[in-house]
Amino acid sequence: MMKNDRVVFIVDDDERIREALAELLESHGMRSVAFGSAGDYVEADKPDLLACLILDVELPDINGLEFQRQIAEGEHPPIVFITGHGDVPSSVRAIKDGAVDFLTKPFSDADLMTAVQTALDQDRQDRSTRAELGALRRRYLDLTPREREVLTLVVSGLLNKQAATELGISEVTLEVHRRNIMQKMAAASLADLVRMAERLKIPVTHSRRNPGGN
Amino acid sequence: MTNAPILSEPVGAEAAARLVERVVGNGWATDPAGNFIYVTPAILSALGLTLYELNSVPEQGHFGWRSVIHPADYDDIASIWRRCLQTGEHYDVEHRMLRASGAFGWSRSSGQPLRDADGRITGWYGTVIDADVQSVLLNRLPAVADPDREKAALDAPRPLGLIHPDDRTAAAHAAARAFWTGVPQVIRHRQRQPDGDYRWIETRSEPGYSVSVDIDDLVTDKDPPAAARLPVAGTSEAIGAARVVESIFGNGWAFDAEGRWIYLHPFAQNSLGVTLEYLNAALDEGHTAWKRLLHPDDYDRIAATWHHCLATGDHFNVEFRFRRASGAYVWARTAARPARDGQGHIVGWFGIALDIDVYKKTVAALRDRERAFSQLVDMVPSHLWQLTPDGEPVFFNRRMVDFLGMDAADMVQPGKSGLATMIETSVHPEDAAPFGDALRHCFRTGERFSMRYRLRRSDGVYRWMSSGAEPLLDADGRVLQWYGLCHDIDDQVKAEEALRSRELELQQLIDTVPVQIWCVTPDGDPAYINKTMVDYTGMALDDFDAEGGLPSAIQTIVHPDDRDSLHSALGHSFTTGEPFDLKFRNRRSDGAYRWTEGRAEPLRDETGRIIRWYGANVDIQDSIDTQEALRTSKRQLEQMIDAVPVNILSFDPSGKITYTSRRYLESVGSPLAHVEDFDALALDLAHPDDFPTMHRRASEGFATGQPFVNRFRRRDRQGAYRWIEARAQPLRDENGTIVQWYIASIDLEDEMRAQQALRDRERRLRQLVETLPAMIDCAAPDGEPVYRSRQLREFLGYDLEVLDGTGKSRLGGTLDAGVHPDDLDAVKQSYAHSLSTGEPYARRHRLRRFDGEYRWVETRAAPMRNGEGTIVQWNVICLDIDGEVRAREALRLAQDRLSRASQAASLAELSASIAHEVNQPLAAIVANSYACHRWLSAEPPNLERAKITAERIIRDANAAADVVSRIRALFRQSAGSRSTAAIGNVIAEARDLMAEEAMRRRVRIEFEAQAGLPMLALDRTQIQQVLVNLIRNGMEAMEGVAAERVLGLYAGRADEGIRIEVSDRGPGLDDPDKVFEPFFTTKQEGMGMGLAICRSIIESHGGRLWAEKNEPQGARFIFVLPVDTKAHHDEE
Repeated sequence: MMKNDRVVFIVDDDERIREALAELLESHGMRSVAFGSAGDYVEADKPDLLACLILDVELPDINGLEFQRQIAEGEHPPIVFITGHGDVPSSVRAIKDGAVDFLTKPFSDADLMTAVQTALDQDRQDRSTRAELGALRRRYLDLTPREREVLTLVVSGLLNKQAATELGISEVTLEVHRRNIMQKMAAASLADLVRMAERLKIPVTHSRRNPGGN
Repeated sequence: MTNAPILSEPVGAEAAARLVERVVGNGWATDPAGNFIYVTPAILSALGLTLYELNSVPEQGHFGWRSVIHPADYDDIASIWRRCLQTGEHYDVEHRMLRASGAFGWSRSSGQPLRDADGRITGWYGTVIDADVQSVLLNRLPAVADPDREKAALDAPRPLGLIHPDDRTAAAHAAARAFWTGVPQVIRHRQRQPDGDYRWIETRSEPGYSVSVDIDDLVTDKDPPAAARLPVAGTSEAIGAARVVESIFGNGWAFDAEGRWIYLHPFAQNSLGVTLEYLNAALDEGHTAWKRLLHPDDYDRIAATWHHCLATGDHFNVEFRFRRASGAYVWARTAARPARDGQGHIVGWFGIALDIDVYKKTVAALRDRERAFSQLVDMVPSHLWQLTPDGEPVFFNRRMVDFLGMDAADMVQPGKSGLATMIETSVHPEDAAPFGDALRHCFRTGERFSMRYRLRRSDGVYRWMSSGAEPLLDADGRVLQWYGLCHDIDDQVKAEEALRSRELELQQLIDTVPVQIWCVTPDGDPAYINKTMVDYTGMALDDFDAEGGLPSAIQTIVHPDDRDSLHSALGHSFTTGEPFDLKFRNRRSDGAYRWTEGRAEPLRDETGRIIRWYGANVDIQDSIDTQEALRTSKRQLEQMIDAVPVNILSFDPSGKITYTSRRYLESVGSPLAHVEDFDALALDLAHPDDFPTMHRRASEGFATGQPFVNRFRRRDRQGAYRWIEARAQPLRDENGTIVQWYIASIDLEDEMRAQQALRDRERRLRQLVETLPAMIDCAAPDGEPVYRSRQLREFLGYDLEVLDGTGKSRLGGTLDAGVHPDDLDAVKQSYAHSLSTGEPYARRHRLRRFDGEYRWVETRAAPMRNGEGTIVQWNVICLDIDGEVRAREALRLAQDRLSRASQAASLAELSASIAHEVNQPLAAIVANSYACHRWLSAEPPNLERAKITAERIIRDANAAADVVSRIRALFRQSAGSRSTAAIGNVIAEARDLMAEEAMRRRVRIEFEAQAGLPMLALDRTQIQQVLVNLIRNGMEAMEGVAAERVLGLYAGRADEGIRIEVSDRGPGLDDPDKVFEPFFTTKQEGMGMGLAICRSIIESHGGRLWAEKNEPQGARFIFVLPVDTKAHHDEE
């Protein structure tokens, strides 16, 4: 029975390996799409499902580890590396860079499937985190430029009075801004707002002791 | 034209007066009894009278207006007026009338009775006009009247008396209207001729002018028809108005409100050859009433204006050309105004037309005449002026105004007479008094004035004038005006002065020239001697005469030895007329006899007769003395020149030889006969190789006047060429002009020979050093290089001086720039040690060649010392020993490689091959096995899929087994399963295998195989593996190539067998040999075994595999497989 909510991408230059992995995954009821090179994978139209990427280290167009680093910036499914000649430095590097597992050919059914399952779980987690962050970002973008300035000062820990002086506005006005921010960001408390700012990577530019400093 | 208008009742006398007033400017009206009922208010106020006062009869039956009429005229005009009132005849008088200024002026009063339908006079209307001007106008009428007959016309003023009584009113009013309105007027009238006949005249008046032209021949209808009398009922306001106007100005016409002709003076109809019906017909054709009258070019413009006026009631006043009965077009001016009824509605139009054509032409002619006259006065090339009898300037002509910069009017200044001002401002101060006296004398006596004086021009320059003036006298001999003329004679006066002063100068010249000038008559009698001669001889002209003329003078002053020859020479000249020229001794006044050169020439009249002999004596004693002195000094100089051991020549500025020293003649010989100048001499004597240079330099020197020096070989007397140095120097006179060139030459032959020998020796030495197969360097005692041989310069790639100015010493700079950084410190230390101690230097180090390559050199240096043992120079030799050092290095590397290779062959190749080739199928097998297991374990088992996976397991396992067996075969070093194959096919298969990958990598594979290659015995799989390996390597090498990626495959014959090449266009190989070493790899994930295995395979086939550089870029892998020997061997 095929699970239609998930897919496994296979990138290996060896036709026999691609064939065998697809077969094995299918025997586990897992859909797979195989590519002969990293380039093919990048260019392909891929379904937006829970996913996992089985990536050969020795690719014809690029080293798999290098490829991992290149796509690290964007959103991509968790990676399970496979290699013909596994060596310790490479595997350490891969895991450090976020790979789920590093399997040396030939590998066992159980090892592969565990790694694939782990990767899919992790993808589910990543996706929900990204969705939250997306919502947060949208809320942040709803703020006016002035409110964003106020937000920066408030989460830096400045007192209302200090923040107002910093911006050259009255304390009352600042409080109005602050209320609006809390409401727009759907923050339950200042602590909540600070946590949000952290997730949005809003830099803390001021300190209460030295409000004007950077 | 006494056509008194018949006016309808609404048009009373007052209305008629107002009509006249509209045109002329004033008007009056009376009742039938002559009582004023209307006078233009302006006239009343000017006269200071009321209407009542005008009509009152204060004393003895006189009219109320008596006070404003000149007493002398009153009785006459009063009686005429009374007569007119009784008879109804036209009233027209001239009289003097009081003006607003209080003075009397000539005026003309005209009046006309107004009658009702029954012919009864209902009133009078008229006008008064200023006749002063009018009289002037009329007086200009050119007709000459007989005074007697003129007097007979008692009822008319004099000028008007000539005009036909019927036309007088019209003529007078035309002139008046011209004056009053400024609009030119034309009137036709009959004028009495001296013979008593009347002729038709056309008179055109304009303010200031009045011109009459005889048109009698043009008028076809000499007796104009009587005015058409229209029925009273039909007379419209417009016609009435037209008649009133016409009665004063003539040529009236009228239109109805729609612009249709209703009246045109019959005279006009006649002269135009039209009828009203004819003109009005144009309206029916859609045009205006003017259509048939006007010149086509004017019609549109006039029609537009006419339409405008009809629509708006604006006054119509235009000029146009109209056609006469004769068909000719003439210019006319016409004016019209609307006639309105009580409510102000336009009921019609009335107006007049004035022919201005002849007037226009005639006036132009008159003006031209006046302008011509005025130009004549202005253009006379002399100054003309006019003075009053008492001398006040009244007129200067244009030239005089221009000359003085002032007009006669400018002379008028308060408190001074104009004459005084003119004398003061314009006459030269020295001439002012005589000028004023002479002029006043003339004014007193009436005598003609004539004098020369200086007159000031507007630019301040005084110029001589010749002036004359004469009075214009009246019949009684009284002076009316003085007319004067003054003519600019400045140039003549100046010329006379110049002539006088030139004469004086000439006299002074003759007397002051340092030459004795004399003049004798043809007979030899002295006529003149100049002052110089008088001073010289101590005898004046009188003395000559006193002592008996020329012979005795000769006797007195000429040296006794020269007297005879002088006598005979003079006698000869006097007889024959030939010029006289003789040198003789003359006694000076101090008694010394001095050589004199006398010359004389005759002066002849036009017939050729001698009239005078002019002679000049010049004292030449000094020049004779000087010549003698010169001759002496020249002789001495020549002696000196000949004594000096230098050859001397001289040339004149044109290059001619003027002198050759004796020594020159002795050493070089006399110039050949044809050799006369420098060029020829140089060509003859200078060595042909030296001639061009020396001649060029000499030519430049002669041309510029600069001294010059030439070194060249000159042929001597014996015919041998010897080196000489010739120096040329110009001699200049006091003006700087070159008068002579002197050339002195000295023999340089021995010196030149010595120099040449020295140069030859030095050149040989230098060549020796330069050609030595070593780099030579010389340095100063402090180590600074002073010389480098060519080899060293070429090695370094720069010259000795290049590093100067960099702030470093030459030595330091060279070392820093050239010595390998690793060797630099040691080299510097070593140099420093040698320089300080004087010990020889020897060292091996790497030195940078010009192309950047460091080469091993051995440098040795030793000091060169002088007699005292002091170091004067370091001599350095530097040998390139790079080849030697490198060879040793290469040997060492080769040994290293050898030992590494033997190691690799046993261990690495095996494991790496297994890892590479076996692991992949193995991994596939394992995965497939799991899958197979799962298909079988599923509920229900998927046998179909299990079967497929099982088949794949078998396939992959076989592939793995193949690899293993091939590896085993490889290491057996023997041919596995050799078969005979065409190498072309094998290459093609490999290419096809790689086709997909090539496409992905965008690499184009080019394959070329010679035809007819022999079959080869080979292991197809192994060779394919080699090919695939090489192809993939090639493609990978071109990964970063931006240009076209081409992989070349080639198979062809070679000496040793068949040659297969795989070439790429990648970056190429640094070390073509190194790539075959096991574990050598440029790829990140490669194990470096591929090429090593490839080489093993090819070698196991008895062939050879190597790499080369590909042209123009990239790498080329070549292997050669033997054709038959090995194959046969394997088959055995």
